[in-house]
Amino acid sequence: MNGEERVRLFLENAAKAAAGTHLLPGPEALRDVLAGIVPPGVPVYCPGLTAAEEAVADLFPNRVADYADAAATVEEVFGAVAETGTLACASVDGRAVQAGLLPAHHVAIVRRDRIFAELDDLFAEVVSAPPTNLTLVTGPSRTADIELTLAIGVHGPERLDIIVV
Amino acid sequence: MNLGQTTLRFRQNSVRALEDVALRAAMKQAADTFGAKRAEAFAPVSDLEALRDRASGIRDEVLADLPRHVETFVASATRAGATVHRAKDAAAAREIVAKVLSDRGAKRIVKGKSMVSEEVDLNAHLEAAGMEVFETDLGEYIIQMAGESPSHIIVPAIHKNRRQIGRLFTERLGVPYTEDPQALTRIARGALREKFLSADAGISGANFAAADTGSLVLFTNEGNGRMVTTVPPLHVAILSVEKIIPSLSDLPAFLRLLPRSATGQAITAYVSVITGPRKPGDATGAKELHIVLLDNGRTEILAGESRDILKCIRCGACMNVCPVYRTVGGHAYGWTYPGPMGLILTTLLTGMAKSHPVVDASTLCGACAEVCPVRVPLVPLILQLRRRKVREGFPDPKERRVMAWFGRAAASPGWFSLGQRLAGIFWPLVRAVGGKDVAGRLPPPARIPFRRKAH
Amino acid sequence: MKVLLFGTCLVDTFFPEVGEATLRLLRRFGADPVFPQGQTCCGQPAFNAGYEDTARTAAAHFLSVFDGDAPIVTPSGSCAAMVRHHYPELFHDDPRMLAKARRAGERTYELSRFLVHVARAHEAGLRGRGTITYHASCHLTRSLGVREEPLTLLASLKGAAFVPMADAGRCCGFGGTFMAKLPEISCALAEEKAASVEATGADTVTGCDSGCLMNLADALRRRGSKVRVAHLAQLLAEGL
Repeated sequence: MNGEERVRLFLENAAKAAAGTHLLPGPEALRDVLAGIVPPGVPVYCPGLTAAEEAVADLFPNRVADYADAAATVEEVFGAVAETGTLACASVDGRAVQAGLLPAHHVAIVRRDRIFAELDDLFAEVVSAPPTNLTLVTGPSRTADIELTLAIGVHGPERLDIIVV
Repeated sequence: MNLGQTTLRFRQNSVRALEDVALRAAMKQAADTFGAKRAEAFAPVSDLEALRDRASGIRDEVLADLPRHVETFVASATRAGATVHRAKDAAAAREIVAKVLSDRGAKRIVKGKSMVSEEVDLNAHLEAAGMEVFETDLGEYIIQMAGESPSHIIVPAIHKNRRQIGRLFTERLGVPYTEDPQALTRIARGALREKFLSADAGISGANFAAADTGSLVLFTNEGNGRMVTTVPPLHVAILSVEKIIPSLSDLPAFLRLLPRSATGQAITAYVSVITGPRKPGDATGAKELHIVLLDNGRTEILAGESRDILKCIRCGACMNVCPVYRTVGGHAYGWTYPGPMGLILTTLLTGMAKSHPVVDASTLCGACAEVCPVRVPLVPLILQLRRRKVREGFPDPKERRVMAWFGRAAASPGWFSLGQRLAGIFWPLVRAVGGKDVAGRLPPPARIPFRRKAH
Repeated sequence: MKVLLFGTCLVDTFFPEVGEATLRLLRRFGADPVFPQGQTCCGQPAFNAGYEDTARTAAAHFLSVFDGDAPIVTPSGSCAAMVRHHYPELFHDDPRMLAKARRAGERTYELSRFLVHVARAHEAGLRGRGTITYHASCHLTRSLGVREEPLTLLASLKGAAFVPMADAGRCCGFGGTFMAKLPEISCALAEEKAASVEATGADTVTGCDSGCLMNLADALRRRGSKVRVAHLAQLLAEGL
């Protein structure tokens, strides 16, 4: 599977899991896409740990330091898996994995060279030294505990947007 | 769950369940929905049989030398900074968890879904020790509020309909009545969010534990598992020893099989892989991680003829296809684990004296074994338990007499023919005595049996 | 070709018409069926209830009655599965009997399998009538792997229409001793099955196991249903 196929399959499977998906034509489009996804003025947690995060941080005038106070988290994640449309969020480089959990809206930026074809490829990379927390995320939080009726947004985000850069 | 010595009353429980129209409708709906979703989820998996072989092989490999894999896991988890406790039985597990919590002054506990914690009856023990325990899985939250126990290992409150849940929320949470599942879910989110943020400790189970890395793996959909394991400062995980897999790199096989088997999802919304507590420089992870490895009879099962039941990965697929389970639901089985895998595990863990009636809770139709993702030989295991039940003298005397007569007739055409003739002659009497249960459902014997016509 | 007919205890005692239909079919397709008069029961009720010694006694008797090289044909998926799969288990520590059990297992054919693979009855252009639905019994399908043969035979019946029922492969609740031990659940399952049968609108329901059909007939009777219950052997023999 080549890079383009991985990207296509990842986005297709993520969309099947009810994630919003966005493929950028070029790096300059990131700001425009984000502006369309995150409503202006809402409290946003954007850790500013990577170049991509830093480049967009000024888009959010109401940027909060604590993700527990945020309505949305905008962050770059560790990687993704095409097979299942899954994000891999890892507690590396001082990143708080729960930042993508508490706010109702999670916006994840994925670099296309970090999209693994299969689950095995991801685990092959982390097995030698797993981070304290590796969380695989596929679609928004969900439950069918009441009469098997799907309800979105139980304890985690009710909305998940994925931007491939 | 209370582990008293009274015998489980499967037949009486099932009669009660059969009279509960709402329960039967809910069970049927769950079984049909999961069955259909499971089939749909596996349809695009082209190499399913090879995948099942691989997962089954990994589970066999673990059981072939479980003590070694446990030692490896303990060493790896300890190296990663976790404190690992070994609990011989349910009482020891309860004591360990209670002590870890009380030593740290933990009073408010949030809990993720864990069948093992049900098995050891953890909540009642912690509550008796003065702690507040909040179940956070929506289904578990509902049944905790109602003071009940799970009826399904994947959807614990499947036996309650939306109106019952709406009324329960109104009564207990003081919210305006609604029966919209999305609205009820939102209410639970609000009520539990505050509990997560103020909790002193989180208790979780684990679906798997990787021996080579010491990692715990949790499959969840709601996000409560992530909350419980990352938000409070202390995380206590309780799991039974057979949940171990040799390597974290074995996980993909189970990631592909378990969610599809359980709920028909290609993967659960969340999979948490937790390796030790928070380390310097980390911004995620409980500050302290305690892992309680429960034996509670597993070592004994491992040494016996029924050890293959320990391959089970608790997906619930065998339950959804089981004609008995889908008709009477989980409560009829009387203990933590229902359905085909449940009746086997229940008997092995609680003893034949207590559990011999549930050994009969199968038609031996084999639908369970057909769907088991790790190829647990469920039918042979049930047959083994029935043989043990007979060996240990638990069937009632009437059944023994009937079987003794049957044995004689089966070995002798003379006795067999005599039996046929007597049955024919005394049929009205047999029907009167046998009641509506059995004889009333059989036609009368033929006037001339086939053997006298077959030339 | 000489074949040994294993009638089964249920057919022998309750449903001689199924045995007679089986004989007619076997004769029509060139076999020379012999009914060993010493036969009794395969021992499955005891085996499934955990009475291993009793089951072994029955199995040993069966193996002596059905000794030889001729194929053994039986109009029951469940009894065929008992011989094929469970007899070897019963004699796993007795090499002489084990060899005998394995040979008997290999020689044992469930009727529909014999009719399709050996007799090629589906190519004979048998006649049928009405609308027929089919219950795929548990041991026949899951234990013996006989899934297509009964459908092939039904499809070959000229003048009859086949309608599948919902969840045709779900257990009817008979389960041998299960119906006696947990009669309430057994009845509930049979009721569900009967409802599936009626929902098809078929006038006849068929199958390859008399135990299941007996259980189903009772549930249909309780519903006041007019649907006829007939073993596949009967339907095929009627079309000769």
